[in-house]
Amino acid sequence: MPHKCTQCGRDFEDGSATILKGCPSCGGKKFLYIREAQRHDDVLEEKSIEAIADETKQEILEVKPAPAKEVEVYDRIESIRIVSPGSYELNIEKLAQSDEVVIRLGKEDKYMVDILSMAKKKKE
Amino acid sequence: MTFLVRTKQKISQFLRAFFRKRSSRIGIYGPPNAGKTTLANRIVRDWIGDAVGPVSEVPHETRRVRRKENITISGVNGHSITIDIVDTPGVTTKIDYNEFMEYGLEKDEAVKRAREATEGVAEAMHWLREDIDGVIYMLDATQDPFMQVNIMMVGIIESRQLPVIIVANKIDLPDASANRIKSAFPQHPVIPISGLEGDNVETLYEKMTDYFR
Repeated sequence: MPHKCTQCGRDFEDGSATILKGCPSCGGKKFLYIREAQRHDDVLEEKSIEAIADETKQEILEVKPAPAKEVEVYDRIESIRIVSPGSYELNIEKLAQSDEVVIRLGKEDKYMVDILSMAKKKKE
Repeated sequence: MTFLVRTKQKISQFLRAFFRKRSSRIGIYGPPNAGKTTLANRIVRDWIGDAVGPVSEVPHETRRVRRKENITISGVNGHSITIDIVDTPGVTTKIDYNEFMEYGLEKDEAVKRAREATEGVAEAMHWLREDIDGVIYMLDATQDPFMQVNIMMVGIIESRQLPVIIVANKIDLPDASANRIKSAFPQHPVIPISGLEGDNVETLYEKMTDYFR
């Protein structure tokens, strides 16, 4: 049995994974589970989705937006980030791998590459 | 004649220097304020009557790697090892001068401390990569051991296949829990001690003689 978007009324087949990302038509995040018999009530009987929800005592499902993924520490290329003078973030995974120093300045993707540290002879 | 004797001495000196197995370097690692220098000082004082460096409650007191060589430690089991103790700056992922200002440091001084501490972490990691044969990973038993930096560091040490003893320090404090640390790192030996009071350090010495041979 299908779900309906509470915002625009678009319905989705039961078990549709599409709704997990929000309604593709309006971006709505709230969906109501509707029985097949009532599927077209909103249009035929001009009920609002909320009214149907009240009637059927179904809870409106809310899809949580996926949290904005921060770049994982080990995916970062910089070994040291200078957030502001006197404030540093250290990527110890990178520091453990080599002496090559890449510095990221501030919040934007501005990098300084220490070429000298990379030109050093590798031991063995 | 003296020429011959001197040459012979020179050669044997050279050979000794060349073939002598260098003593294992044991690095004391851990987050800032875990008590790394306090333990290093205790080890060095107990066995050669010296000290490694100053300690303070302000984090990142140790900002350079310090080393004491040829310390022979014996356990009650009769085993003994000769090691170099390497005391390292606390490893962390964030250093902010504002933290030091809360301890009453002036801004200039705090910014300088932050910069030196950052260099210190890089230096500690450099040592871990090239010069360390075994690790004592120090944790403050009153703190949460599941901090990302601890998990990462133990992972890095494991990936280098270095033997590691985890020390649960500050057990003299009321809210210390060595068990919490044991449950965080069940794959490694955990020794609860108080570096400051000297509680249970003999157990640590004994474990070191077994583990770092």
